Amino acid sequence: MSNKFIGQSIKRVEDKRFITGKGRYTDDIVLPGMLHAHFVRSPYAHARVVSIDMTEAKAMPGVIAIYTGDDVADINGVPCGWQVNFRNGETMREPKHPMLIPTGSTAKHAGDAVAIVIAETKAIATDAAESVMVEWDELPAVANPAEALKPGAPKVHEQFPDNTAFDWSLGNPIEEVDAAMAAAAHVTTLEFVNQRVVPNAMEPRAYIGAYDEMADKYTLYTSTQNPHLIRLLMCAFVLGIPEHKVRVVGPDVGGGFGSKIYHYTEEALVTWASKQIGQPVKWTSDRSEAFLLDAHGRDHVTKAEMGFDADGNVMGLRIKTVANMGAYLSTFAPAVPTYLHGTLLQGLYVTPKINIDMTCVFTHTVAVDAYRGAGRPEATYLLERLMDLAALEMGMDPAELRFKNFIPKFDGVNEPGYQTQVALQYDSGDYAPVLERGLEMLGYNDFRAAQQEAAKTNKLLGVGFSTYVEACGIAPSAVVGALGARAGLYESAQVRVQPTGKVSVFTGSHSHGQGHETTFVQVVADKLGIPMEDVELVHGDSDTVAFGMGTYGSRSLAVGGSAIMKSIDKVLEKGAKIAAHKLECAEGDLTYDEGKWTVKGTDKSIGFGDVALTAYVPHVYPAGLEPGLDFSSFYDPANFTYPFGCHIAVVEVDKETGKTTLKRMIAVDDVGNVINPMIVDGQIHGGLAQGIGQAMFEGTIYDENAQLTNGTYMDYCMPRADDLPLFETDRRTTPCPHNPLGVKGAGEAGAIGSTPAVVNAVIDALWSGGHQVKDILMPMTPERVWRAMNN
Amino acid sequence: MELTGSHTLDAPVSTIWTMLMDTDTLARVVPGVTRLEKTAENEYLAIAEIKLGPVSGAFTGTLSLSDIRENEGYTLHVKQNSKIGNADATVSIALKPLSDAQTEISFDGNARLSGLLARTGQRVISGVATTLTKQFFANVENELAADPTTHS
Repeated sequence: MSNKFIGQSIKRVEDKRFITGKGRYTDDIVLPGMLHAHFVRSPYAHARVVSIDMTEAKAMPGVIAIYTGDDVADINGVPCGWQVNFRNGETMREPKHPMLIPTGSTAKHAGDAVAIVIAETKAIATDAAESVMVEWDELPAVANPAEALKPGAPKVHEQFPDNTAFDWSLGNPIEEVDAAMAAAAHVTTLEFVNQRVVPNAMEPRAYIGAYDEMADKYTLYTSTQNPHLIRLLMCAFVLGIPEHKVRVVGPDVGGGFGSKIYHYTEEALVTWASKQIGQPVKWTSDRSEAFLLDAHGRDHVTKAEMGFDADGNVMGLRIKTVANMGAYLSTFAPAVPTYLHGTLLQGLYVTPKINIDMTCVFTHTVAVDAYRGAGRPEATYLLERLMDLAALEMGMDPAELRFKNFIPKFDGVNEPGYQTQVALQYDSGDYAPVLERGLEMLGYNDFRAAQQEAAKTNKLLGVGFSTYVEACGIAPSAVVGALGARAGLYESAQVRVQPTGKVSVFTGSHSHGQGHETTFVQVVADKLGIPMEDVELVHGDSDTVAFGMGTYGSRSLAVGGSAIMKSIDKVLEKGAKIAAHKLECAEGDLTYDEGKWTVKGTDKSIGFGDVALTAYVPHVYPAGLEPGLDFSSFYDPANFTYPFGCHIAVVEVDKETGKTTLKRMIAVDDVGNVINPMIVDGQIHGGLAQGIGQAMFEGTIYDENAQLTNGTYMDYCMPRADDLPLFETDRRTTPCPHNPLGVKGAGEAGAIGSTPAVVNAVIDALWSGGHQVKDILMPMTPERVWRAMNN
Repeated sequence: MELTGSHTLDAPVSTIWTMLMDTDTLARVVPGVTRLEKTAENEYLAIAEIKLGPVSGAFTGTLSLSDIRENEGYTLHVKQNSKIGNADATVSIALKPLSDAQTEISFDGNARLSGLLARTGQRVISGVATTLTKQFFANVENELAADPTTHS
C-alpha cells in the first residue's frame, strides 16, 4: 500500500455538488404521475378521535384519496428494534405505534396522525387536510417524565397505568455501592435535568413511495441514515412484503444526527398508498412537523452521587434516573438510556463501585431516541458535572482530581483492555495526555490569576473541564444481541474491480454529511496504490449495495471501513495469484506496492490494471481460478471502539445581566487513527456546536397540556456562528487495536464532551464570584444564570 | 396563556351589564368576532378572524355564558377551532361598581392553545393577548360613547 492519501486533509469531493446546489435530495426527485401527501394530525397531546368527517375534503378537485386508521387497520405498527426487560424479568412494555389513529382510539402526542390526504399537488393536499373535520375529546396529558411517574398522572396507555416502559439497573450490587458511599469522606450530590432537544437536521424528512405493477416491486426514496434497515423493518414488520419486492434508496441526505435512523409511519404509508392508487406518492415534512415529530433526544431527570476518600480518590457512584421515552418506543429507543448510557458511567476513572438505576417512562410526547451521542452525552454530562463540582466542593483542582483518578494507560495489545464495572471492556486508552495538552492550550497556569482579577470586575471568568470516553464503532452483534438488540450491527462491503482497473466500492454505510465519498476513497486508493479518481463509492441503494446497517454511533469507518478492508485483502490475494501466474513466479516472491506486483529483488512487475484486465480476459490464467475480481465481505467488530478526549470551555458571565459569553472552546480528541484530518475537524466542530447549543440555547418547552410551545426557529434557539468562538482543536492518537485501520470514530465526540464543559465553566465563574451554585438548568439563559447569582 | 385585565368605565354597572348580555353588542366588542349567532339560551355560534403575530386564521366555534349573576358578572367559555389549531378559553368577567357613574370591569382566566397556534410562540401570543385585551376595553368605550342612552 501507499500512504499518499491516508492522513491527508483532502477536500471533500461531494462538496462540489452540495455547495453548488446540485445535491439530489428526496424532495428533488420528481417521478411521472407523482402525487403528494399531507397528514391530518392531532392538535392535542392526548385526545380521543370522536369522529372524522371527510365529506368536504373528498369533494375538493384534485384530491385523489384519503385514508384513515380504519383503512390501515391491517398494517402493523412501526416496530421497536431493541428489547430491554424489567429488572424483575417482566417483558418490556411495547405499545403498538399505529400507522394512523382510528376513530374511537386516542392520539398519544401532538402530531399523531389520523389521516393521510393524497392529492395532485402539495397545496391541494394541505388544503384538503385542513378541511378534514375531526371531532376531538381532549384528555389530560403529561410531558414531564418525573411527573408521569406520580400517582394520578394522566395515563399514556390505559394498559400500563404506571406509565413505565421498563426499569433497568447495571453495575455493582447496590449494597456494595451504598457501603462505598457510606464510607466516603465526601459525597457530591447533584440533581439535574438533561433537557430534551430537537435534532434539527437541515433537510426535513422526505419520502416517496412508488409501486411498479409490471415488476410487482416497490421503490421507497427516503431521507434515511440506513436504507437497508428501513427495508428490513418495513418489509418484515410493517407491510409484510418480501424484501426482494422492495428497493429502498437513500439519496443525498441533509443531516440526520440520529433522527433519520428510525422507521417512521410516514415511510410505510406512502409506500403502501402508492400501490393502492397506482401512482407514486411523495411526502415532505415541513419544519413545524419536524419539530413535532422527528424523534427527540436526551430528556433525563437524574440524581447522581459520587463519593470520594479524603485524598480525592473516587470511591463510588450511585445514580437514579428517570428517562422519557415519549408515547411510543422508537426503533432504538430502549437502548439509549440503558446500554448506550449506563455502560459509559465508568468514564475515564477507576471508580471501584458503580450502580445505575433507570426508570424509563411513557409521556404524551413524541418518541425520544438516539440523538448525536445517544446516551453517551448523558453519561458524560453526569460524570463530568460531578467531577468539577466535587473539585469545587472539596477545594481541589479539577484537573488534578482527574489526573488522580484516571485509568492508567493501556494499549489493548501489550496490556489488556480495561474491564469496567459496567459491562464494557475499553479497547485502548491513554487519558492523561489529552488533558495535559488541553491545559497547555488553555494556559492553565495563567488562567486562575486572570480569573481572580476578573472576579473584581463585572465580568466573571470561569473554566469548565470535561474528559470523556465513548463507545463507538457500533457494534459487536453477539454482544448487542445478548443485550436485547433485534438486529446485528455488522457492515457489508463489496469491492468490484472493473476490467480496466477502475474500482467501484459498494458500502452499507450511508453518508449524510460525513464525507464518505472522500474518506473511504482515500483508504481504497491508498490500499490499492491507485489514484483517487479511479475509485467510486456507491452507497444508499438497496438494489446496488448488497446489505448494510447504515451510519450512526460513529460506526462507518470503524465497521464499514473494516468491511471494505476485508474485501481489498481478498482482491489483493486473488490479484497476487494472477500476477504470479503472469510473472511466472511464486506468490510468495511478490510484493505489492504503488499499484503493482513486483518479483522481489527484480525489476519484473505487473500493474494493478493489467491484473484486473487479465481477471476479466482470462486467456493466460491460473488453472482452477475463477475469472473476475469482485469481492464482498461482512465485518462484525470484535468490540466497540472507545475514543476519548478533553474539552475545555472558558466563559465570561456578566454579573449584572447573567449573560454568558463563550470565550474559548478547546477540544483535544483521540479518535484513533485519522484518515482525513480536515473531515475529523469538521465533525468535531459540528458536534461542539450541538453540544454547546444544548448547554446554552436549545431545549423544548412543553406547557401543562403537553403542547410543544417552541416549535419554530423563532422560539427554539439554535446556536449561530456568532455565538461560538473559534474552536481550538488538537488530537492525540491511540490506535484502535482490533480493527484493520486502527480507527475509532469521530462523529459524536464533539457533542459528547462539550456540554458539561460549558456548564462547568459557568458554575466555576459563579463560584469565583462567591456564588456557590451547584446547578443551572440547561439551556443556561441569562435569566437562569442571573437568578442563580441572585437567589 | 393567562388572560387577565381590568379597566374602569364611565358608566353605571347596570349599563355595562346590559351591554354584555346583548348579543349584537357582544359581537361588536369582542375582538376579532365577526359574527355571533344565538343557538340556545346563553349559547352562541361564533365566527372570528384573528391575526396572532405570525399566524392568522379564521376561527369557528362556540361561545357560551354560565354562572350568570346579574350586575356582577359571568363566566365566558369560548371554544374555537381553526386550521392552525384550537383555542379553548374560560374567562370569568366581574363587574364592580366604583360609584353610580363608574364601574370597574375585570376578567381573569386562561386559554389553552393547541396545534400550530401552540407551537408558534406563546411569547408572541401573550403580546397578542394584551393587544386583544386593550381592543376589548377600547371597543366597550366606543360602544358607550356611541350610545348616548348609556350615559346617566
